[in-house]
Amino acid sequence: MNDLVLIRKNLFRRKLRAILMMVSILIAFAIFGVLASFERAFNAGQDRATPDRLVVLNKINFTQPLPISYYNRVAAIDGVAQITHFSWFGGYYQEPRNFIAAFAVDPQNWMKLRDSDFVFSPEARAAFIRERTGVLVGARMMEKWGWKVGDHIPISSSVWSQKNGSHAWDFIIVGSFTARIPQADTNVMLMGYDYFNETRSFGKDLINWLALRTTSVAANERVTNAIDGMFANSPYETTTDSEKAFNKAFAAQLGNIALIVELVVGAAFVTILMIVGNTMVMTVRERTREIGVLKTLGFSGGRILRMVLGESILLALLGGLPGLGVALLLITRVRDSLMSFVPTLSLYPDIAAAAVGLMVVFGIITGLVPALNAMRLNIVTALGRS
Amino acid sequence: MRSIFLQILAVTTINLKSLPQRLWLSLATVIAVGLVVTVLLAFLSMANGFRRTIADSGAEDVAVVLRSGAVSEINSVVLRDQVRLIEDGPGIARGPDGKPQTSAELYLTVNGIKRSTGTKASLPLRGLGPQGPALRRGVVMTAGRMFNPGSNEIIVGRALGKEFEGFELDQTVTFNNTRWTVVGIFGADGSVFESEIWADLPVLQSLFKRAGSVQTVRARLTSPAAIETLRAYSDTDPRLKLDVMSEAAYFAQQASNTSDLIQKLGWPLAIAMAFGSLAGALNTMYSSVATRATEIATLRAIGFGGFSTFIGTMVESLILAAVGGVIGAAATYLVFDGFTASTMGASFSQVVFNFQLSPRLIGQGLLLALVVGLIGGLFPALRAARMPIVTGLYG
Repeated sequence: MNDLVLIRKNLFRRKLRAILMMVSILIAFAIFGVLASFERAFNAGQDRATPDRLVVLNKINFTQPLPISYYNRVAAIDGVAQITHFSWFGGYYQEPRNFIAAFAVDPQNWMKLRDSDFVFSPEARAAFIRERTGVLVGARMMEKWGWKVGDHIPISSSVWSQKNGSHAWDFIIVGSFTARIPQADTNVMLMGYDYFNETRSFGKDLINWLALRTTSVAANERVTNAIDGMFANSPYETTTDSEKAFNKAFAAQLGNIALIVELVVGAAFVTILMIVGNTMVMTVRERTREIGVLKTLGFSGGRILRMVLGESILLALLGGLPGLGVALLLITRVRDSLMSFVPTLSLYPDIAAAAVGLMVVFGIITGLVPALNAMRLNIVTALGRS
Repeated sequence: MRSIFLQILAVTTINLKSLPQRLWLSLATVIAVGLVVTVLLAFLSMANGFRRTIADSGAEDVAVVLRSGAVSEINSVVLRDQVRLIEDGPGIARGPDGKPQTSAELYLTVNGIKRSTGTKASLPLRGLGPQGPALRRGVVMTAGRMFNPGSNEIIVGRALGKEFEGFELDQTVTFNNTRWTVVGIFGADGSVFESEIWADLPVLQSLFKRAGSVQTVRARLTSPAAIETLRAYSDTDPRLKLDVMSEAAYFAQQASNTSDLIQKLGWPLAIAMAFGSLAGALNTMYSSVATRATEIATLRAIGFGGFSTFIGTMVESLILAAVGGVIGAAATYLVFDGFTASTMGASFSQVVFNFQLSPRLIGQGLLLALVVGLIGGLFPALRAARMPIVTGLYG
């Protein structure tokens, strides 16, 4: 009978108590797994953005437009490697609550810029450039609405109307694309700007923002100053920002999600720390006499310490690992319903690794006091105490 | 009957008096339940505060007219001719001068800096006509004065001024090379309008090149029922592709999404945590029964019934949970009630709101605590009631 068997037997000596503690640990780690992943997905926009990507927005606010003429003027600036413009379509499918993230872009240059995020088939690439009324739809959006390439779909806009007064545009899906990196969100639709610009009833020749890639990160500051300087004191002043900073600021506008997550996870952990820590002290006290016997048999203090710590770590792992499993299950269940809100929700490996690390730390903390008590236990007292 | 009551009283007293022996374990249960209640109430008071700020902003007898399908003000476009048609519509109250009480409005967003984080935030800038303030409940200037028509002057809502910097009284702000002066701070009965900046409509229209259109039209109705008349009028005119709804309905719809989301997060989290603390409560109560095995058996031997032992254990568990619940509710009240926060509303702009705890929410929190106490006490109490006397005495 080696120490591991002894640890296991000790842990399950009182089955109900062990199971109850495991349940509370399981729940705490399930909460941790879900919330940490949620927060990560929520901030995915910042992680996706590489440092050489900049966005050019109207200085007043990102909802204000810019003239299309800025597109060529910015493209000509030294240090700009790739560039595309975006216009917000404000789409919905059939009913206003079925929100569709749709943008009007310059097809060729948008695909060039997004090549590192998405995988485009040669057919889709060619068709999107060729078809005036064609839209390119990401794989997740196709899946969500059950669309196929070649479908004619009416997409309404909550902002724009056509010159004929209708709010609905008829598009043909000319192709789809998949994500090249896990953080890239394919729940999105792209249309050609020319068709959109010619058919809308107002706002002609305006766009919402420019996205560009610089030749190198070192050129960022120079490019930023060149763009904002070029349009200073014009009717449409710009502010150029890194895509990362913009995404971060946008996410921050929803409020301090990180703080809320930390508070809840903290509360859950404090709760089980107290419950499990207390119970461990109690179980070791109950075994005082046994520990005295073990010491009489020649078990060293260090070995006793390791056994008690081993027990609390084993308990934390037996509760925590299934807890991570539950978190994974929950995340896969809610992923689709939260797709428009947190597009890239998944249990990231590093979050899982952090959770396992926390379990070990947790086991050490809860076991430390009783383990030290057991190690220091005097044989005479132990056998005298009943 | 009386003897049963006395028995229960005796057992309960013994249980409660022996609590200090199990001080740490009992305290852990109390704090665990307290934390569960705190988490639940923090979320509920956040959702409640957000909902009340927005939903209470709308009046039943004010109509909001938007482009059909626009959902929120920022997306809407109402053309000049349509504004005229609406102003002449039926069911709209007229002032003493015989003019219809309407306000065509522009709703834009501008950048400000959030004080607490120093980050950029989108703030609503509303252009309105002279009748605009009167269409809203309790608009008063708390400092400075109203803007003069035709000038580059703005007034700032009280809540916005507290949360965001750059809009203090007498400050100048620049939008597109035009300097604006903050000439007043206004309050609006704690409504969502306190999170807005107001300016004169024609001035904003020319600056933002929106001369031919506005985004919404608000109109005072002769009665809340007159909304139907106005809607029917709008629906039958092919030139008006507009949605007509009461301001109350408009804001209720705006508030529901976000507050539903907060609640949908809060309850599952609290229930998951409640299961965790339930495990702790069961643990505590089982060991309470185990340590009192000799006392329980002695009581049974001298003629006490199993029922009184059962109730005694239940009461102990419920009291621990209730104390935890009260501590949790008190902590939430002290820390979160009245806490000011802001989040993005439906129009991509910030809404400032306060966390609001209400008696009903506290009741829900305490109920959750008592459910934990009830289930946490039930099984250990059954064990106590069924314990064979001999086992207890020789345990």
